[in-house]
Amino acid sequence: MSFMLSLLTQERVLVTEEVDFVKAKGVDGEFGVLTGHTPFITLLDPGELVVRKGDALYSYYVSGGVAEVLPKSMIVLANTVERADDINLELARTARKNAEEALSKPISEIERRTYLLELKRENVRLNIASRRHSPSHPGQIAED
Amino acid sequence: MPSLRSIRGRIKSVKNTRQITKAMEMVASAKMRKAQARVRDTRPYAEKIRELLGRLSAIEAHRPNIFFQQKPVKTIGIILVSTDRGLCGPINANVFKQVNRFMAERPGVAFEFVVVGKKGQDFVRRGGLKAVGSVTGVKDKGQIEEILPATQVAIEEYTKGQWDEVWVFYTEFVSTLSQKARSQQLLPILPETEPDGTKKPSPFLGEYLYEPGTAEILEVLIPRYFETLVFQRVMENFASEYSARMMAMRNATSNAKEVIYQMTLVYNKLRQAAITREISEIASGADAVQQG
Repeated sequence: MSFMLSLLTQERVLVTEEVDFVKAKGVDGEFGVLTGHTPFITLLDPGELVVRKGDALYSYYVSGGVAEVLPKSMIVLANTVERADDINLELARTARKNAEEALSKPISEIERRTYLLELKRENVRLNIASRRHSPSHPGQIAED
Repeated sequence: MPSLRSIRGRIKSVKNTRQITKAMEMVASAKMRKAQARVRDTRPYAEKIRELLGRLSAIEAHRPNIFFQQKPVKTIGIILVSTDRGLCGPINANVFKQVNRFMAERPGVAFEFVVVGKKGQDFVRRGGLKAVGSVTGVKDKGQIEEILPATQVAIEEYTKGQWDEVWVFYTEFVSTLSQKARSQQLLPILPETEPDGTKKPSPFLGEYLYEPGTAEILEVLIPRYFETLVFQRVMENFASEYSARMMAMRNATSNAKEVIYQMTLVYNKLRQAAITREISEIASGADAVQQG
């Protein structure tokens, strides 16, 4: 039994197709979605979104947003999305190092929070990138 | 009869015009392709978030939220999306016509504008209407940040209770050959209705579960909804602008061709007439010499 997944950002469409299972990271923890799920709406934390379609697994990094789950469909309105394969390890590592360095210095509370968030985000991205799943992804539209 | 020289000058100037319009057509068509792709990419999010909030607004428990509440209408805020430049066919004029009709249909209601685009500014100034904010020089690159000043003003006015409804006026991109002036109510958010006016049935019975809570979710969703819709409408407007400009310039180019053809015809006739006249003058001159 499959359901319709739409993974969208304001700027583009990443996935619109029938999938079997989705795992995402809500603010209150990770959750999995199968067909027939209770209707619910959640805010998303920065984290991984895993999609299973048949035997294939696809992985995305979602920076936050809102997900609406209905019995026969799921809509993810994400702030930004990156395909796991597109994450640049080098860049993410540098960003993490920068954040760590900044945190080791005495800084204001607001700055500290920004960098902590940044650090968390980069850790998640690196995590995802280091165990990427499949070379190809569903619902990929041509980019020009 | 115009002189040969003046016609030659005019042909030259029309040829220049044709070159300009041809170049503008090509520029517009290149931009149009990108803008159309952007419309295609941004529509789904806007539609989904609109549908989602439509469903939420149908839930009775959310009624007290001011963004779902219908009030007696004293002031309407209009977000007017127009282009910065002209030479793009009738699309701005059509939107302005729609705004005028909209205002005429609602006597006794005050209107305030937030304007995107220079042409809209001119319209508001000419009509002596009240603008509370405006954004010009928005780029077509699909950067939502550029229109945020406009949406923030509008949301503020609505939250303060200055505005009772917020509408957006823009030109919807239908196809390269067809663009349509549209108006749409953004706030308050109303439940979706079928074309015949009846309420759309909910896709499920009952309520959602919310994580973390209804208030937090609406606090995130509503500004996002508003920004996204305005942003998407601006993208629609760009695609419409470029399509309309391309068609307008294509027509201008073919008109210029026609004018050049006609003038060349006249020019050649005149030239022939001049040659004939000259020959007959020479001939009659030679005759006179022989006879004399």
